[in-house]
Amino acid sequence: MTSPNSLETLTLDQVLKPNSLFQQSAPKFGHDFLKYYSFKAGFLNLNNGSFGALPKVVTEACTELTAWQEENTDYFFRIGFIPPLIGVREQLAKFVGASDVDEIVMVANTSTGMGVVLRNFLWKSGDIIIRCNTTYATVYKTIQYIHDTTPGVQISEFQLLFPTTRKAVLKGWQKHIDNVKLNAPKGSKIVAIVDSIVANPGASMPWKEMVKICKDAGIWAIVDGAHSVGQEPLDLKTSGADFFVSSAHKWLNAKRGCAFLWIPKKSRDIMLTTIPTSASYVSPGPDRPETNIVSQFQYNGTIDYTPYLSVDYAFKWREWVGGEAAIHKYCNRLAREGGKVLARVMDTNVMDPDGEFTLAMVNVVLPIAKDLSAVYDASIATALTNKLLAQNLFAVTFYHRELWWTRVSAQIWNDLSDFEILGNALVSICSEIVAEHKNANIPQNSKAQSFNSYLERPFKGAVAHDYNKGLGYPQPVTATTVVPVGYHTHLASIRP
Amino acid sequence: MRECFSFDPEYINMNHGSYGSLPSPVAEAIKPYYALAEANPDLFHRFTSIDLIRNVRERMAKFIGAAHAEEVVFVPNASHGLNTILRDFTWNEGDIICSCNTSYKSISTTAQYISDIPPHPENAQFSILFPTSHTKIIQDWRAYLQSLNETRAQSARELGRRPKIVAIIDSIISVPGALLPWKEMVKICKEEDVWSVVDGAHSIGQEPDLNLAEADPDFWVTNCHKWLYAKRSCALLYVPKRNQHIIKASFPTSHAYISPEKRDVLNFVEQFEWNGTIDFVPYISASCALDFRAWLGGEHVINAYCHRIALEGGKRLAQILGTEIIDEGQDFQFTLNMVNVAVPFPPTMSSDFEIDMAFRRKLLIKKKIYPAFFYHNGKWWTRCSAQVWSQVEDFEFLGEAILEACKEIVREFGDGSEEKAIREIGKEVENLTLKI
Repeated sequence: MTSPNSLETLTLDQVLKPNSLFQQSAPKFGHDFLKYYSFKAGFLNLNNGSFGALPKVVTEACTELTAWQEENTDYFFRIGFIPPLIGVREQLAKFVGASDVDEIVMVANTSTGMGVVLRNFLWKSGDIIIRCNTTYATVYKTIQYIHDTTPGVQISEFQLLFPTTRKAVLKGWQKHIDNVKLNAPKGSKIVAIVDSIVANPGASMPWKEMVKICKDAGIWAIVDGAHSVGQEPLDLKTSGADFFVSSAHKWLNAKRGCAFLWIPKKSRDIMLTTIPTSASYVSPGPDRPETNIVSQFQYNGTIDYTPYLSVDYAFKWREWVGGEAAIHKYCNRLAREGGKVLARVMDTNVMDPDGEFTLAMVNVVLPIAKDLSAVYDASIATALTNKLLAQNLFAVTFYHRELWWTRVSAQIWNDLSDFEILGNALVSICSEIVAEHKNANIPQNSKAQSFNSYLERPFKGAVAHDYNKGLGYPQPVTATTVVPVGYHTHLASIRP
Repeated sequence: MRECFSFDPEYINMNHGSYGSLPSPVAEAIKPYYALAEANPDLFHRFTSIDLIRNVRERMAKFIGAAHAEEVVFVPNASHGLNTILRDFTWNEGDIICSCNTSYKSISTTAQYISDIPPHPENAQFSILFPTSHTKIIQDWRAYLQSLNETRAQSARELGRRPKIVAIIDSIISVPGALLPWKEMVKICKEEDVWSVVDGAHSIGQEPDLNLAEADPDFWVTNCHKWLYAKRSCALLYVPKRNQHIIKASFPTSHAYISPEKRDVLNFVEQFEWNGTIDFVPYISASCALDFRAWLGGEHVINAYCHRIALEGGKRLAQILGTEIIDEGQDFQFTLNMVNVAVPFPPTMSSDFEIDMAFRRKLLIKKKIYPAFFYHNGKWWTRCSAQVWSQVEDFEFLGEAILEACKEIVREFGDGSEEKAIREIGKEVENLTLKI
């Protein structure tokens, strides 16, 4: 890379070499695409939804970006990164239908975006925050934290229970909002969190209609769109939402540590500060520029800008593989058909047979005996995770309404046979778990009435997994004893 | 030594202190972890990275002399760590948050923000003006905290309860790059019943023999991606067990958060293990960085070299510029690996930010050499970082470059004497007007 010869700044097209791969034509979707990703040979990845997957070409671009950063850090951090970052924000603004580039700022992940919005509201006694039982754990707990630290703030929880229909969800949501409004103290503000696509189960919601119900009732609507960008088309300027956050490292192929927060002009007054507060923060008042919050998000502490800048190459990759419409079409069809295959193999059922809630993720019941599903049991969650990984494949498993489920992500490297393999693996895993559970010494506080009541107080120690200093695959849970090995094993049961 | 780093060969890096630098061997050492992250993202993020980071945390805890590994967690950068602490205090009317005029800008703005929102704790500022001495700072600090205590006593009478005072102290100031007598200042905080939040951003890898259990600050934060050679971004947050109840939540809040009334165990570490998907490899790189530094010869060897170059280079630079090192009158007691030398401008020179921009054009772009520049107590200074790739010759080259740049800048901006004259005339007119 050449060093800067003037204060003339560079665009990413000048910094990054064009990849020769883009001269070739892309293969058909399916296993032919595996060679463009870096999965260990034989690993069957049916969980794009949690952590995404970085295509090799984007990995290469990231290596170049990091090298550029290290060549001359003063140039990069004072001058160099700014136009490329604005360029990425412009691309995203266009892609998601924002009105203006200054409505889009970058954050590390959706949890951060949701957290910074929620913490910027000046909460008072009487205010109400509406969440769902299915709200993602970090957001769920942010709301809990605000409630715990601001006397008088109430939480109102809407129960989203699957299986259901879009019509029933909207009816229930309307009723819930009406009820909250009716009983709200005068002068209080009400803020609702709406998931565009719920994590567990993986369900695409009628979120625009839910936002409209909020706005018609005069309440704030913050949309957790973590799974949206790259999985569904977006036109945020017509969404009516007050804020929208989405992770680019899930379905948009950016490097991990990359999400965006949409702040329409109408919502700017709420956003006083980034977290951490930026050096460019100006106190509210006549001296504060209108776009101060945008400047704050540009730099608020030293970070690695590579994940944000990787969005540029992620867009190039997606164009090359066939473009958004083609990707969505393939993944959505595969999710539906794959769900049917899974249900057949496991002799259970798909959560959403009509496909009202299904984009690229599908949820299917697991063949676990009813008596083991009566209450939430974290040891089962961990055992499922461990055993799947031990068999060199992965899909998310979760507990909802006294049933255990799997949530499967359909991606362009998957095909129908993957679902067959997963199904067979889950059949054997579930029967192992049922058999082992009989004789296992499960700690009592591994269990709770529901996943949410367990989430109130996730505890230290759960189910054993042997690990080879973390560099190998965990061994399956042993049959007769369950040994607490440390809190982190719980993460398997909580993160979707 | 430059072989171990991936700088543009034409660029002389004299500002390691701002953003750090990633050694090529460390960049190599972490490649396998990136490969693991993509080989099986679920295994890596649910198990492997958690275990690895747990091990690295223990290693870092030993390195900084924490009493327990459970007192040390990773955060993305020092600003993030400091914001976590300051936001987790429950602020009440009458409370005082105290920073310094020399606090890092984003920490000053954090204190400003906290004071801007209800219940508007008071934003106090302690003043440090160079040249000064450790002795004077300690004296002034004690007197300042005593005066804050008088204010507090008054508020206590009015409010019927005793407010708290939270002081943010730099271990090593950023601009100027200056080691403070922070341990003594922490002791004084204890004597005066003031919380000590130490911004140790520059400490790890520059300040040898850290022993936090001994120094015993209430909170302490440092950036591993500055002087320790870790990958950006990677920092440590240290909270001794006695204070972990203050940290109610990480940012973002973790799934492991437990409401205070339900919390019967300390879950400090658990709350920081997962706060949303990030690139976790920088945290792992801190351990690889320690390996590299051990290979270089270890902390004492590295810092002895850097410190020597800072002093020799600084003296040479001051000689060429015809100016002085900021603490040469105090036997260089503020200088570790960063040295601050006065810029040869006329004393009337403006403090305009545009002058910093001019130095960027003339040095960073044109000459491919760049230390930090700043205006402090009526003067422009340059802060040079001495690193393992630095040599005294770099300071000589810099000196010539600065001399040339200064001449040009004075031509372009004027020497400020005109503005000063106008200001004086303005004052005289005002006085005359008042008399009338």
